[in-house]
Amino acid sequence: MTGKTARLIFWLGTLSSALIFLWLTYDFHRQEPKYTQVDKLSEEVVAGKKVWHRYNCNDCHTILGFGAYYAPDMTKAFYRLGENNIVSIVMHPEEVYRNSFRKMPQLGVTRAEAEQLVAFLKWVGTIDNRHWPPQDEKYVKAYYLREARAQQLEKVDIVMGACGGCHSFENQGRNVAGDFSDIAKRLSFDRETLVRFILNPQSVKPGIGMPPQNVNKETAGLIADFVLALKIPKEVQP
Amino acid sequence: MIRFESQRVSLWYIRIALCLFCLQVVLGLWLSLNYAFTLPQWLVDVFAFNTARSIHTNLLVAWMLLGFMGGTYFILPLECNRELFSTKIAYAQLFIFAATAVTAVIGFLFHWTRGKPLLEIPFPLNGLIVVAALLFIANVALTIIKSKEKSALQWMLLGGVSFLALLYLFGMPFYKNLNTDYYYWWWVIHLWVEGAWEVVTAAIVAFIIMEVTGVERKVVEKWLYVETGLFLFTGIIGTGHHYYWLGAPDYWLWWGGVFSALEPLPIVLMVVDTWMHVRERKSPIINPLTWTYIVGLAIYHLVGAGIWGFIHTLPPINYYTHGSQITVSHGHMAFFGAYGLLNLTIFYFALPRLKNIRKYRDTAGQWGFWIMVVSMFFLGLVFGVAGILQTYLERFLDIGYSTAHITMMFWFRVAFAIGIVFLCGALITVWHLFTLKAVEVGASE
Repeated sequence: MTGKTARLIFWLGTLSSALIFLWLTYDFHRQEPKYTQVDKLSEEVVAGKKVWHRYNCNDCHTILGFGAYYAPDMTKAFYRLGENNIVSIVMHPEEVYRNSFRKMPQLGVTRAEAEQLVAFLKWVGTIDNRHWPPQDEKYVKAYYLREARAQQLEKVDIVMGACGGCHSFENQGRNVAGDFSDIAKRLSFDRETLVRFILNPQSVKPGIGMPPQNVNKETAGLIADFVLALKIPKEVQP
Repeated sequence: MIRFESQRVSLWYIRIALCLFCLQVVLGLWLSLNYAFTLPQWLVDVFAFNTARSIHTNLLVAWMLLGFMGGTYFILPLECNRELFSTKIAYAQLFIFAATAVTAVIGFLFHWTRGKPLLEIPFPLNGLIVVAALLFIANVALTIIKSKEKSALQWMLLGGVSFLALLYLFGMPFYKNLNTDYYYWWWVIHLWVEGAWEVVTAAIVAFIIMEVTGVERKVVEKWLYVETGLFLFTGIIGTGHHYYWLGAPDYWLWWGGVFSALEPLPIVLMVVDTWMHVRERKSPIINPLTWTYIVGLAIYHLVGAGIWGFIHTLPPINYYTHGSQITVSHGHMAFFGAYGLLNLTIFYFALPRLKNIRKYRDTAGQWGFWIMVVSMFFLGLVFGVAGILQTYLERFLDIGYSTAHITMMFWFRVAFAIGIVFLCGALITVWHLFTLKAVEVGASE
């Protein structure tokens, strides 16, 4: 091989690869609206992305599989956790992970920021990325199944969607703060107090670890009914 | 034994780089403890994993770039047969770069960050990095332009460092779309390590091999052209192996898969040509440790970057391994094998000459090399085992996150122990480099 051939190999290799790559990049941008919902990139979503950067979330969590590998992937977190659970975790990690083998720092995220983050994660979840990560695909499917029959959702779906981050019921959700069947057994609140407790636990039981829940009064009422209904079997016993 | 006074600027580059290297390893040990044990909440609140990780990775980039720049300043006068254009610029640039890096690390401790992995340095500091890079490129370019002798190696070096600086710019803007954000993030990360850095590496290794073997320039430069050509041919489109799961068209699976599968080829070529040059050397071996490093670099580069990368680069496998501890395993082996060893090779080439030592006592250096190389290999294996467990449990069997990650606690305790051994190796090496002692040639060989 002569020096001339070697130079030719260098320039041919480099330039052909660079040209193909640049052309593919052009095509990537052209096709972007097909894979990401560009039209739904609202100010709220962009603000959420800034929150994501501000607290350096990506140096513990992966997103789209990129970042640090210390904490769960956030690509489909919206489907996996739901809005209320994300807000609770982000604002009160020291409570949610009190008994966990791995901790998340208390970052001082405000309510507004947490909600922006939810908007961002919801948008990220819609990126068409060939169903990655594999372990979260079941949550995506379950979410759209629930969406499809929103009018006739089972109570338990709504309750676990809101509370499943910390409470479990019949093998659903995570048992951080107790299973609903056990809680119902020891619960002494009436419906009104329970609703008040869900919306602002401190106002009923000062010093309790449970954070205020990011649900409206109607949903809080529904959750209260659900939990109180679990009580009945005990009361009919002599 | 330096031929040009201005080569001395590289001394401080090397010294600072070595200090940052030790600090990086210490931070790595701390990170492994975060996995190995349950840390108390108050500690996590003050010094979280993300802070430590951004320091660990930024120190890596900082010491390696300092090494590249110092190495370039050391070999450029020899290659151009004249003094550097300006030693003042070289020192000013070193000061700006090092001061920015230190400020950035302190800033991270107080949550001053852009929150973009590996590119966390916030804007005003990023501007300073660009200034330092421009000063560096200008200094290199002017030295080459003013030189009477022109060579392929000079242009390869200049091209490599300019490409490196150019790519950095793509990581600087704020992208609204996360998918676009990561598309260009890889222009920095991937095209650095599998493009620009490879070009700089190939050029520096070619120079060192030429200097110590006495193999003809024509032969070395021919290899250099073919290798860098193949590096860039496979590496540029090979970027596509990061685009499988970020929401991009299907053809990336093919472009990315095929071209990244070819990426080990130029590295194989590098091993072959290093081996051939060593066999056909015309000069006697003066310091065997330099050889240990050059051959070690070629082989480890192939194992860490080539084989470990190839293992999980094809889409059907990557679907399960993407974003897991397997990436950590590959990352450590590749960075240490390719660029860690390269920088140390440069230092072992430059430091004795800067200190006017022809032959040095190398017992400690040999120990340092072997301890680092073996412990990093085991570290890669341990991360790999943790990664296989994680992907198998979480993604294959669909057992929950916690169950999959609790298994890591054991493996990261092992990793911590191996990390301590690696730190010892690194400290021995750095100590050896700082205190090189001359041996009378022909005394007791």
